[in-house]
Amino acid sequence: MLLVLVALLALQTSCDDGFAEINTNPQAAIEINPNFQMTWVQLRTSGGRYENWRAGLIYSSMMIQHMSALCGYWTGDKYTYNGGYSSSLIDNGYREQVKDMQDLINTLQSGTQGDQTMLGMARIWRVVIFHRLTDMYGDVPYFEAGKGALEGIDFPAYDAQEVIYMDMLKELEEGIAQIGSGGFGGADLIYAGDADQWKRFGNSLMLRLAMRLSEVDPGTAQAWASKAIAGGVMNSNADDAFIQHTNGPEGINRNGIGEVLDKSNGFGDDCPRLSATLVGLLESTGDPRLNILGVPSANTGVIAGMPNGLDETTIQDNASGTSTDDFSRINPAIVLVESPMMFMTYAETELLLAEAAMRGWGASDAGSHFEAGLRAGVKMWEHYDASLAVDDATVDAFVAANPFDAANGMEQIGNQYWLATFLNEYEAYSNFRRTGYPDLTPVNYAGNVTNGQIPLRLAGNPGEGSLNPNFEAAKTRQGLGSDFSSHMSVPVWWDK
Amino acid sequence: MRNFLLSLLCLLVTSATLTAQSRVSGNITGEDGVPLIGVNVLEAGTSNGTVTDFDGNYDLSVAEGASLEFSYTGYETQTIAIGSQTVIDMVMTEGVNLDEVVVTALGIERKKRALAYSVTELSGDEVATAKEINVGNSLAGKVAGVNVSNPSTGPGGSTRIVIRGNGNIAGNNQPLIVVDGVPINNDNLGSAGMWGGQDWGDGLSSLNSDDIENISILKGNTASALYGYRASNGVILVTTKTGKKGQGLQVEFNSNFLAETFQDNYDFQTEYGHGRNGAKPTTEEEAFAQGLYAWGAKLDGSSVMQFDGQSRPYSNAGSNLDRFYRTGSTWTNNVSLSGGGENVGYRFSMTNLDNQGIMQNSGLDRNTFSASVNGQSGKWLGSLSGTYVKENTKNRPGLSDSPGNANYTAWSLPPSININDLKGDPNKLGADPETGFELQFNDNVFVTNPWWATHQFARNNEKDRLYGNASLGYEFIEGLVLRGKVGIDRFTERRTSLEPYGTAFTNFGAINESNRTVQEVNLEATLRFNRDITETVGLDLIVGGNQQKNFDESLGGRGANFNVPFLHSIKNGANQSVNYGFSQYQVNSLFGQAEVSLMNSLYLTATVRQDWFSQLTDPSGRDSENSILYSSFGVAYDLSEGLGDALPDFVDFAKVRASWAEVGGATDPYQLGLTYGIRGQGHLGNPLGSINNNSVPAGSLVPSTSKELEFGVDLRMYKGRVGLDIAYYDRETVDGILSASISGTSGYGSKTVNVGKISNKGIEILLSLNPVRTSNFRWNLDINYARNNNKVVSLLTPEDDGEEIRLEESRTRNAYVHLVEGLPYSQVMGFAYVRDGSGNLTLDDNGLPVQGDLMAFGTGVHPNSLGINNKFNIGDLRVSFLIDIKTGGKIYNATNAYGMFRGLHKATLEGRESGIGAVAAENVEDYYQRIAFGISEEFIDDADFAKLREVVVGYAIPKRFLENVPVSGVTLSFAARNLFVLWKKTDNIDPESTYTSGNGQGLEMFGVPVTRTYGLNLNVKF
Repeated sequence: MLLVLVALLALQTSCDDGFAEINTNPQAAIEINPNFQMTWVQLRTSGGRYENWRAGLIYSSMMIQHMSALCGYWTGDKYTYNGGYSSSLIDNGYREQVKDMQDLINTLQSGTQGDQTMLGMARIWRVVIFHRLTDMYGDVPYFEAGKGALEGIDFPAYDAQEVIYMDMLKELEEGIAQIGSGGFGGADLIYAGDADQWKRFGNSLMLRLAMRLSEVDPGTAQAWASKAIAGGVMNSNADDAFIQHTNGPEGINRNGIGEVLDKSNGFGDDCPRLSATLVGLLESTGDPRLNILGVPSANTGVIAGMPNGLDETTIQDNASGTSTDDFSRINPAIVLVESPMMFMTYAETELLLAEAAMRGWGASDAGSHFEAGLRAGVKMWEHYDASLAVDDATVDAFVAANPFDAANGMEQIGNQYWLATFLNEYEAYSNFRRTGYPDLTPVNYAGNVTNGQIPLRLAGNPGEGSLNPNFEAAKTRQGLGSDFSSHMSVPVWWDK
Repeated sequence: MRNFLLSLLCLLVTSATLTAQSRVSGNITGEDGVPLIGVNVLEAGTSNGTVTDFDGNYDLSVAEGASLEFSYTGYETQTIAIGSQTVIDMVMTEGVNLDEVVVTALGIERKKRALAYSVTELSGDEVATAKEINVGNSLAGKVAGVNVSNPSTGPGGSTRIVIRGNGNIAGNNQPLIVVDGVPINNDNLGSAGMWGGQDWGDGLSSLNSDDIENISILKGNTASALYGYRASNGVILVTTKTGKKGQGLQVEFNSNFLAETFQDNYDFQTEYGHGRNGAKPTTEEEAFAQGLYAWGAKLDGSSVMQFDGQSRPYSNAGSNLDRFYRTGSTWTNNVSLSGGGENVGYRFSMTNLDNQGIMQNSGLDRNTFSASVNGQSGKWLGSLSGTYVKENTKNRPGLSDSPGNANYTAWSLPPSININDLKGDPNKLGADPETGFELQFNDNVFVTNPWWATHQFARNNEKDRLYGNASLGYEFIEGLVLRGKVGIDRFTERRTSLEPYGTAFTNFGAINESNRTVQEVNLEATLRFNRDITETVGLDLIVGGNQQKNFDESLGGRGANFNVPFLHSIKNGANQSVNYGFSQYQVNSLFGQAEVSLMNSLYLTATVRQDWFSQLTDPSGRDSENSILYSSFGVAYDLSEGLGDALPDFVDFAKVRASWAEVGGATDPYQLGLTYGIRGQGHLGNPLGSINNNSVPAGSLVPSTSKELEFGVDLRMYKGRVGLDIAYYDRETVDGILSASISGTSGYGSKTVNVGKISNKGIEILLSLNPVRTSNFRWNLDINYARNNNKVVSLLTPEDDGEEIRLEESRTRNAYVHLVEGLPYSQVMGFAYVRDGSGNLTLDDNGLPVQGDLMAFGTGVHPNSLGINNKFNIGDLRVSFLIDIKTGGKIYNATNAYGMFRGLHKATLEGRESGIGAVAAENVEDYYQRIAFGISEEFIDDADFAKLREVVVGYAIPKRFLENVPVSGVTLSFAARNLFVLWKKTDNIDPESTYTSGNGQGLEMFGVPVTRTYGLNLNVKF
């Protein structure tokens, strides 16, 4: 044995023989097929339970009175502050979406793998991710974001929302132009690689972004809206951009909202109910969606919306019901773990066109667009479940009962957009802030941090604020205070 | 290998029949005539020796004409030429043993007087009587410069040992553990973080205190320099018991029972009951929603609705902690058999440790089997030893965040709620009797029913571990020995984690089963030449090499959402997945050491070691710097020998020493490049691929380097009555390998980099006093003091000031542990109050305090420690007690933060009737809740403490009572650990209540309460 040992040490010509092989991880790849990475990024953009629960449901859906809850930790209903809930989307968005998105774009740009069509689609998808982040949080890292490994940028600079918007619009234009043959094929969870649908999606998104600027920079808004419309936007519910989820095999496959609300899947947060505001609007217009979005209350057997801003104590003095179960749950059929997750719909697009027509920005005949938006908005729930299909006669009757009235056109359009984006809560919250529709009555719950006003943005992460030296400049630029809860009262750039 | 085994066999067979020798026996006593046990009797110049038995007798075969050397701690060493004598009785004189031998790097025994650095030894007794399940905890307070933190995590939990301060920015700051010359794994197998979790134990937790002969602690870089890249955190050398040659058969039985009770630091308010806004709940829905809030009305004994729709008296329900935590117990039984012939020694030992924790349904069962044999045949020297440990731990308690954490709930109940009312089904604790699901008592599904957490969850692991070594040496000529050694440490951990069907936060449950194997093999060869060349020149030269190979492989399965209710099996999961992990690395080393002694007074030592790392080798084959050379130099000068009579008479011994060394730290494999992997099982048939790295990869790395300068004085005076050992060190560690927190907007949470410079300067003083020394009363007082000045000199970019790195975050998300440039390691960070010029709180429009800036409030690591150890020998009685004092550290008390949020903390009593400023009485919870999760300054406490750490009272039954029984010795001891906290500044928690043994120290949150243990130890020798 001694001889073996001595020989072992003495005969080693160099003392690191075979070390390169030993230090090669046998479980990892050094490059990845762009298809695999695109599927991943799309699925993560739909998001997990974490941020859908917190930023999506607990804040967004509550602040705009889509839903309502008594439970104290449903802070958005009461405009109270929970830092971790508020920052959940920005906390996860960069690590789970932007990181691989940026890496994929880098790979495609370098030309080592993939094609130009893929690059075009990836650039459009990147805008999906980023416009949501900036809409919710204002100035965010954009140009330098997600480049920790690619360019060694540890602390990305925060870019002004205005600059981000201008670049996103440019990215959409260039991305659409790159789409030709090739692409991701079936690995594309949105359109299975259909180039025409991607172009229409890109233009519709451009229209959404353009309209976002309607108050702060009408000139730019008009120019880009006209360009988008000229390029060709979505033209039927078949163009709706969504990801179909499945119940497993793992958590990652499930709809993040379903993971919160789907009681059939082993969990179910039973706090939220339809908001009285939502039920009131649906009832006032005879909207067939009343029975699609909600189910009758457990106690009364009728559909009833719960007022916002109440808790278990104050509900006892409430005239319309004194217990959670006096009110309607969200229809379980639309919040399953296998439900689709909507990113943008034809219904929204038509409503944006109606608004553009009202403003005279590259579209005409607001009324017909409004009507198309109304029809599409009722019909879109077929994506969730065939049983939710509404027959044409019912739709016709609903449309006939709610004709477009140009005098109140903006409000009608805004209200319908608010309904059409139920469960796409980030978008619903953003469009509400821009248009001010529906005309919501704020709540004034004890301990709220916004002086009884509907919050104007979500607050970012104080940890990031203290870690990233570049946050300070963004804070100053936007007039944000040292206490993060106060950020919720500061409007974002496009919100005038 | 076959040859080796044959040689050993040969040794065993021939041990009794070697060359004709003379036999010497005798009896050894002290000056008072009392027999001395365990005196070393050695044939001078050889390794042939024995120790005296309980009656002071010895018996040894030696070569004719040899000399015998008698040595004993606290006594002067004496050497006697045998001549023609066959019986030599000795009276040993108390005094200083200047030939005391200590175990140093690579297991080499060296005379303490010759060392150029500080080494502290503890005998096995010091960790075996007042036992801790994790032997690391037994070191607390006993060794200057060794900082032991014992996180409050339940049985089988890990311990954190840091020697001379944290030097590494990240990764391991704990010393290398070496057992009988072979490194063993001491990785933490998993600990709790901000989102909760359990402490899955560490490598030290499988050491058996009954098998430990002594522990030698190499504190500084020079002491551990021969370990090269593994040396920068110091080394703990454990030597296990072996049979001694010529010893005769001895059977020893040791039985130890310790009871364990929690230390009740709980002092929350008992005046206001559950509810909110100053009101009692009136409906079940309201009571359920308010189940965790004590913002109700003043307790008045009226009948008030609770979570389950039942009304109960609105009065103080008494201590829920008393109801919930039980008295724990630990039985440890050991039997050993040891002996030896003329040329061989052997020992076998079996130990069972059976623990029941204070947490319901938790405990640990550990069986240890060890065997060793050593021998000599002519010029061949061999040894073989092995230890097998089987450790079963049941229900490791949940810690930190609420899901599955029973501590969280037990501490958070309003005073009007009785925890027993949460029991539900008596046959299935914590369950709703009708559904079998978790009985919820509040609307937050993540706050788990405590009985459900302890009785329905499972967090079990079973570890099978084998470690040991075989060595064979050959002596070519006198003093020249070639030795080869194989050491192995291999363990398999089988783990089960169950969140059962019916759990509120995951209704259909999930189970994880995993199997992990970790192995390290070391092959070592050394050639040593050790001889006095002339009367005045001695030489000790060692050259050698080591090859270290490690691998870590794990395979696990997960089944979630059980189809068949309550059938907790992976295959019953609607969603199943598989996990596999593998990593390996190798380090090759060449090393050498030279020690020269001149005039028996000047000792010069130098070492050199080169390490080659697979971890630093670029996998693509591109040239990469993958090796590092380390060296050390030391000098010790024995003034008493060198200056002779120039020193005053009362000085027995005086030595000054100085040394310098450069050593390193380790790194993990596969850190150099960006890689991709496949996630999950695809979506709708499409594979999901993404970047693997959560940390930006490094590109290239070097291991951290640590340079230390050490000076010391060793003085012994007044015939050994006063001893003083002072060490000063100045250590600088650079290029730590760190996953530095970077902005999440970079896409990554962190970045792997070589950064930083951390300085540790400190002083260690060991004062040993022996004020009284009579034949039947002896008092020894050992005082150890250490102060470590730690400073993070620079972090990411040397030219930038004020940089910070986040190590840990509290679940409250407003307290952190950071490294901050210019401040000591582990800064506890919190948001301060905003105050006006005169120090009054600034309030917002609603009259609520305002959250200010994030500030550093101090280090989570105590810089000062003082251990006071008194030992009395009164006749046959031995009494010792250890007081352990630490100061200068901070802790973030999240228990108090939650206590304030929920209206449990006593501070929240103020204003309930009258309001606070503009805040009305019924809204006073808004005021406190703003502070609770907004202004963490309020909850950062001084973690200073003084504890009565250990008490041992031992009684050795006098020999005269044992004459008619077949036993040679019986010792009965009372032993206790952590009996009392003498002084602390934290309310509601113990100052040593962190939930992790990781680098980020200073965060507390709902760990298992700190306990006291006390009981009896019986030792019988046959």
